[in-house]
Amino acid sequence: MSDILIQALGLGVELASRRVVDGVSIDAYSGQIVAVVGPNGAGKTTLLRALAGLIPSTGELMITKGRAYCAQKPSSAWDYRVRDLGEIVGEPVGFGDWLAKLGLADFGERRLTEISGGEQKCAHLAMALSVLPEPYGNVLLLDEPTASLDVAKQAAVYQAIRTCAQAGAACVIATHDLTFAQRCDRVIVLSEGRLVATGEPRTTLTREIIAATWGEPALTEA
Amino acid sequence: MTATKAFVAGFVLLAGLVLLALSVGAQGFGWGDGGSLVLLRSPRVLAALAAGLALGIGGAAQQGVFRNPLADPGLTGVFGGALFGIAVLLGFFPEAAWQRAWCIPAAAFSGALATSALLVVLGGGGSSSRLLLAGLGLNAFTAAGTLVIASRSGESRELLTNGAYGDWLGMATLELAWLPVLLALGAAALLMTLARSLDLLSFGEDAARGFGCDVGGVRRKAVLLTALAAAAATCLVGQVAFIGLLAPHLARQLVGPRHVKVLPLSALLGAVLLLGADTLGRGLWPQAPLSAAAVTAVIGAPLFIWMARGRHE
Repeated sequence: MSDILIQALGLGVELASRRVVDGVSIDAYSGQIVAVVGPNGAGKTTLLRALAGLIPSTGELMITKGRAYCAQKPSSAWDYRVRDLGEIVGEPVGFGDWLAKLGLADFGERRLTEISGGEQKCAHLAMALSVLPEPYGNVLLLDEPTASLDVAKQAAVYQAIRTCAQAGAACVIATHDLTFAQRCDRVIVLSEGRLVATGEPRTTLTREIIAATWGEPALTEA
Repeated sequence: MTATKAFVAGFVLLAGLVLLALSVGAQGFGWGDGGSLVLLRSPRVLAALAAGLALGIGGAAQQGVFRNPLADPGLTGVFGGALFGIAVLLGFFPEAAWQRAWCIPAAAFSGALATSALLVVLGGGGSSSRLLLAGLGLNAFTAAGTLVIASRSGESRELLTNGAYGDWLGMATLELAWLPVLLALGAAALLMTLARSLDLLSFGEDAARGFGCDVGGVRRKAVLLTALAAAAATCLVGQVAFIGLLAPHLARQLVGPRHVKVLPLSALLGAVLLLGADTLGRGLWPQAPLSAAAVTAVIGAPLFIWMARGRHE
């Protein structure tokens, strides 16, 4: 077994005196992509923010080395050029590489307002990815990285995450896309802040669990 | 425009303005016998340069902290707070005010810092309307406070009224101005060290923290230094709105939004704008000069309305 990079035991988060994440235990190993799925309001984003150390949580949380985090809807107050993003995080070369891998090789000189929402999302993802110049032993936390992307961009983002995992990162990805989750190494199913199931996709994304978590109509979609 | 070109153009413009400002006076153009008038006018020019610099970079920093291009210490009540601080000192401790060089700057800084802190509490969160409404309230409150104190203290009445109209440049002397000038330069230099953090902050608190930025620390430093810049500027010129708004806006138009360029260029353009406004006000009506604040408001207010119209929440 490879290195364990995230270990959370009985993690809890309270927001506005409501228990949004309740007693969730998860772990993630170097080289693994872990999908966090669940209906709207299940606590996926909150769990990721807690793992990123952005909000206080109760329970035990151990994360080794560096963390890179990309929010669900990243945005900027100012209209930067795309290449500025790499300079701002101090990794212009690594940023350029990730940009190219996500299909935005020629976008460096464009302003953020001149590119589409999906392209902006990819630029912000490249920014988060470039923070970890050496993925080995580090943790990548991405919130809905493939939302609002076309199929080519979705594939490129999956490939980028897989590249990080192969280089030794532990990747935790919150997603609504069950097809994406099927391609991950492990899946964590959340519902109303609690852990419903955890394990390989074939044991967690079963008809029974999907019906119990999202309701019967979800089966036709899944 | 490249950053180098913008800075060179700004410096050339500023140098020209300095020469013009030194040659304009109540008696029309001229430098007097052997340049005697130049010596007389140089404190005013120096004060305008330092105050403009502080206004420009303070505005850019406040916009960076609030992630909002409509933030301006003049509109968000921070200058009002600085003037209110001075009013409290003059109203309640009139003897102490002029005893030490640091008394008036310290009072201005306390007032500016108090309003800045309230602004963070009441107007934070990134919403323009919330920020501007909180600023509106603070501005109204501090203005009322200054007015009440001014109306009750006979000696300081004219002084405080002139301050509220941004009309203090005329009484600048080296003796009065040296400390605020140093404070303005110090605040500007320290604000420059926050450039990269302000860039990171523009992606939101979560992202900035994710990129290793100490969000709370950067905010506190920026608020403190903006208050210091505002206090220094207020001591030199009184209350002037719109320069903190216009200078960063122009700077971003010229060199893009990176703070490492926007902060120094805003300082430069702030100095150009304030010295330009003061010189224009004196040059056009030598007998009854218009205050720098009045000239900047005439130009700045329509631009502010235009900018606010284009901003959708």
